[in-house]
Amino acid sequence: MSVFKDFVLPRSVDEARAALKQLGAEGMPVAGGTALSFLRHKEPKVAVDLSRAGLSGIAAENGGFEIGAMTSITALREFAAPGWVLDRVAHRFVTQQIRNQSTLGGNITRVFAWCDFPVALLALDASITIASDTPRAVDADEFFAGQPVRLLKAGELVRSIHVPAVRAGEGFGYRKHTRVEADFSQATAAARVKVEKGVITGARVALGASIPMPVRLPAVEQALVGRKGAIHVVNEAVALIGTRTWRSVAGFSQDYIRHLASVAVADAITDAWKAAVEGRA
Amino acid sequence: MNAKTIQLTINGEARSVDVGAGESLLHLLRRIGFTGVKNGCDEGACGACTVILNGRTVNACLTFAFQAAGGRVETIEFLGNFENPHPLQKALADEGAVQCGYCIPGMILSAKALLDRKAAPTDEEWSLHLDGNLCRCTGYEKIQSALRKLVAAQGGDQ
Repeated sequence: MSVFKDFVLPRSVDEARAALKQLGAEGMPVAGGTALSFLRHKEPKVAVDLSRAGLSGIAAENGGFEIGAMTSITALREFAAPGWVLDRVAHRFVTQQIRNQSTLGGNITRVFAWCDFPVALLALDASITIASDTPRAVDADEFFAGQPVRLLKAGELVRSIHVPAVRAGEGFGYRKHTRVEADFSQATAAARVKVEKGVITGARVALGASIPMPVRLPAVEQALVGRKGAIHVVNEAVALIGTRTWRSVAGFSQDYIRHLASVAVADAITDAWKAAVEGRA
Repeated sequence: MNAKTIQLTINGEARSVDVGAGESLLHLLRRIGFTGVKNGCDEGACGACTVILNGRTVNACLTFAFQAAGGRVETIEFLGNFENPHPLQKALADEGAVQCGYCIPGMILSAKALLDRKAAPTDEEWSLHLDGNLCRCTGYEKIQSALRKLVAAQGGDQ
């Protein structure tokens, strides 16, 4: 059975919202569409293609970057500005064809365990703007506290994502493990660390892919803050990841995935801490 | 299947075609005669179905036909043929970089999409832009070598 029984091609956000409102549960917004084959519906839907709605582009504003929801992963990779770090996540994202087609909004709104950008947005303290009759911004912690589509009522859309720039004294780290280069993520980790006079004064650390939904790791963060940056400090913190529901991915044991996750988190924190110390974001 | 008519440009020619709501761009293109677009894995892993859509490569198998509405599509048929090959086609043939040939239309379109943006890509840029095209025959060495030689012959300087 086909995923879709019809499609509409709105020319603006207002048109897209009107179509989705009218269609209700029958309507389905389509971003890049590359993950749609993983969705199963009882009844075919009406596709509302967002690619012509004017939702792509990256603008530097308010101490960070405002990214249109339909901005492609390639555009994230090619963008460059002081404090911009999402190019690193984009660089390791599947293949050129899928980087060209997939969008940031699509990757974060219907979250599969292996989606790469939720962990980065959690670590970076992003906020997500929802186009609505009453537009609102939702911070990443709330957005990813469950399946994000739960937040969208009929006629609402993710419009843009605000990512704060990584400033002087801060660093960002991102690690991704896959079986082969272009495969689904088995473990991802992202960290944003602030260092003042050698002491870690702020940390946001997130883990993904190895568990069903991406999460922040508050115990790990707390174990870092107030400590002088060092490998043993990182390792002590990573030991606090705790017991999780580890996914058994691609035939690997849960114990191996747990190990992979702890390595990813340790490396992401170390990268972020060293980048902060060396002043290179 | 509820068919609807869309307009798009295929290989420079404006076309009006009926598409099914759930039909892939791969299925559409092959159905209307562009059989140079190959169906390999049908799940976005191999790149044999690569086409250029609005200047960027996509996996036609993962693209719904309606997503190409109003767009510009390029397939291998746009580049050349046996009698008059495109320089990329000639370069790969000259280097012996083609064995079974199934991946080659997609491989060439990925290379073209990069060359359309950058005259002399670095090895790293070639690797990144061709990372979605699998070749199970050649081991990639001869393909990369052919591309490097083509750029050098065209006066490109890395």
